[in-house]
Amino acid sequence: MVRRLTTGLAMPLGSVLLAFVLGGLIVAATGGNPFSAYAALVCGGFGIGCAGGENPGLQISNTIVFVIPLITAGIAVALPFRAGLFNIGAEGQLLAGSIACTAIGIKFSSLPSPILLPMVLVGGMVGGALWAGVAGVLKATIGAHEVVTTIMMNYIAQWFLRYLIVGGPLQLAPGTSKSSPIGAGARLATLLPNDNSLIILGLPSSVFRVHTGLLIALAAAAGFAFLLWRTSLGYEIRAVGQSQKAARYAGISVRRTIIVTMLIAGGFAGLAGAIEIAGVDHNLTDKYFSDTTGFDAIAVALLGLGSAVGIVLAAILFGALHAGGSVMQADAGISGNLVFILQALILFSIAANFVGAIRQRIPGLGRPTALPPDLPPAAPMMTEAAAPPTEA
Amino acid sequence: MSAIGDILHLLITANLWQATLAAAILLLLPALGGTISERSGVVNIAMEGMMLTGAFFGVAADLAWHNPWLATGVAMLAGALMAMVHAVVSIQFRADQIVSGIAINIFAAGLTVFLINRIYGLQDVGHVDQSALLPNINVPGLDQIPFLGKVFFQQNVIVYVALVLLVLTHLVLFRTRLGLRIRAVGEHPQAADTAGINVFAIRYGAVVTSGLLSGLSGAFLAIGISNTFVPNMTDGRGYIALAAMIFGKWTPFGAFVACLIFGLGQAIYDNNSIIHISPYLLSMLPYLLTLIVLAGLVGRSIPPAADGLPYVPGSE
Repeated sequence: MVRRLTTGLAMPLGSVLLAFVLGGLIVAATGGNPFSAYAALVCGGFGIGCAGGENPGLQISNTIVFVIPLITAGIAVALPFRAGLFNIGAEGQLLAGSIACTAIGIKFSSLPSPILLPMVLVGGMVGGALWAGVAGVLKATIGAHEVVTTIMMNYIAQWFLRYLIVGGPLQLAPGTSKSSPIGAGARLATLLPNDNSLIILGLPSSVFRVHTGLLIALAAAAGFAFLLWRTSLGYEIRAVGQSQKAARYAGISVRRTIIVTMLIAGGFAGLAGAIEIAGVDHNLTDKYFSDTTGFDAIAVALLGLGSAVGIVLAAILFGALHAGGSVMQADAGISGNLVFILQALILFSIAANFVGAIRQRIPGLGRPTALPPDLPPAAPMMTEAAAPPTEA
Repeated sequence: MSAIGDILHLLITANLWQATLAAAILLLLPALGGTISERSGVVNIAMEGMMLTGAFFGVAADLAWHNPWLATGVAMLAGALMAMVHAVVSIQFRADQIVSGIAINIFAAGLTVFLINRIYGLQDVGHVDQSALLPNINVPGLDQIPFLGKVFFQQNVIVYVALVLLVLTHLVLFRTRLGLRIRAVGEHPQAADTAGINVFAIRYGAVVTSGLLSGLSGAFLAIGISNTFVPNMTDGRGYIALAAMIFGKWTPFGAFVACLIFGLGQAIYDNNSIIHISPYLLSMLPYLLTLIVLAGLVGRSIPPAADGLPYVPGSE
């Protein structure tokens, strides 16, 4: 058991370590100091060892704000993995969710919170679900590859968003590139009291942006684990991911499972978008043009090995990296874009299982039974999973 | 009604079709690269990243040496290096080719901005002198033909190069032994291996070629059409090229037709002061059209049989 655990953790941890070493070499090769860069990154992400006078509490709060959508979007990628589907459309689904949330939040802005807040969150989930559903239906009926269709849907969402808030129906005022704000009842409360009565680490609690979306995200992670391991739908999803043929013999409708999986995944991604609007921004802005949460989610799902706990841990890592990036820029003069380099290196490392390759070459480490740890099935392009499902 | 009238009016101007061809070529180069790579069985969604890398290093080299030809070579090399990473990871290490492609795109976006920061500080990259840009070439005589002269013979040098590459790619893929080998490796690598074809070598070559072509397109964008590098300047063109490849059913001329359609959309977008449709809605068109093609409404689009499957020698 312990050995299985260490073997399972070696791959993600080793991949992260490898990425940081290579990233450090890139920093050093371009004349920077990797140690001060990483020190600033740790400060920005976790509030530890800050040299530039940053408030640790504020940094942790910032990190959590980044972590929240990464958890739900990570689930949106991880769940289809289990069914042998590769959803790289979490970004488009997230945008669809944030658009739906904003539209509802503006349209019904006068409604009280107990009614409006559930409305915008569910609306966001429905928006994301419909967006992913297109890919699910095309896959299940004609066998159109979901990787390609979700890429297309990503860009359609991006341009649709631009249309909506630049000259379109949601634009706040001519010349702006943002929407009107959603009603007060559509907003998620901050976790800490929103006044100046409580002082935390020398700052009034109202400056901490961490919001109650955190609780929703953690509940979503628990719901994901429950769905996958404790429900018959979860069993069907995993069965389809293992072998469509076997699943069909067991009486599972492969088409239905594919569509339902994509709908649920899109719902999680849409929830991420809705939470961002309801909890952080309160309106659509041009910030969403360059949002990368849905792509970060792919790294989160892979690094988290497709499990709920893994996803939360991986989301914390990537949330900390993103929060730390700006501090690294300010304190160490290293571009925050190093974070994307690190993320790409982690992806390469996981995908190619470099860690496994290294372990096999080091005597003593590489046991003959050292099989690659159980990766979620990363939907191979033209295997059975990609062929149009035929049902008798 | 007036919008339709405006579009019709726009459609009979030579300027529009000149711009259409240039925009199409920008997409065609990476689309050809993708076609070659996927015909050999390696899924390639990394054209965006290879193009962006090419654009950055093309500008950096041109700023340093004031030589567009050298800069274009550097851009192609940079694209090829990124492709090499994709090749090693997905052919040698048999990684998931989609994950590797995504990683390339993220890596390119991060690396280019990171390098701007290291090399040029927080300032702009700077502008390439007019004299060091890839030149427009008017073909003597032919450029005076009414309408067609402007569309076909008053273009950037890369446009002519790309049209030659289009024909060349078609001929190589479908009329030569090498092309047959590439397609065999992409359809049935085991059989190809048995027949004595080096599967790995063919796939490496195909993927690196896609990097060279994407890098060339990046150079065309940055030091032909534009004269500087801005972060994320490819703006999804590598993905539109991917769409064109699928739209064109993995054939060079099919991809070219798709690129022309998408390029027309781009050209109308750029002339949007005349017509009154949101440019953002127009920008959705390539993706919507590709979805329609994928939905089988215009005939099925089926990838090569072994596309995306790592080859394990000796496997069934």
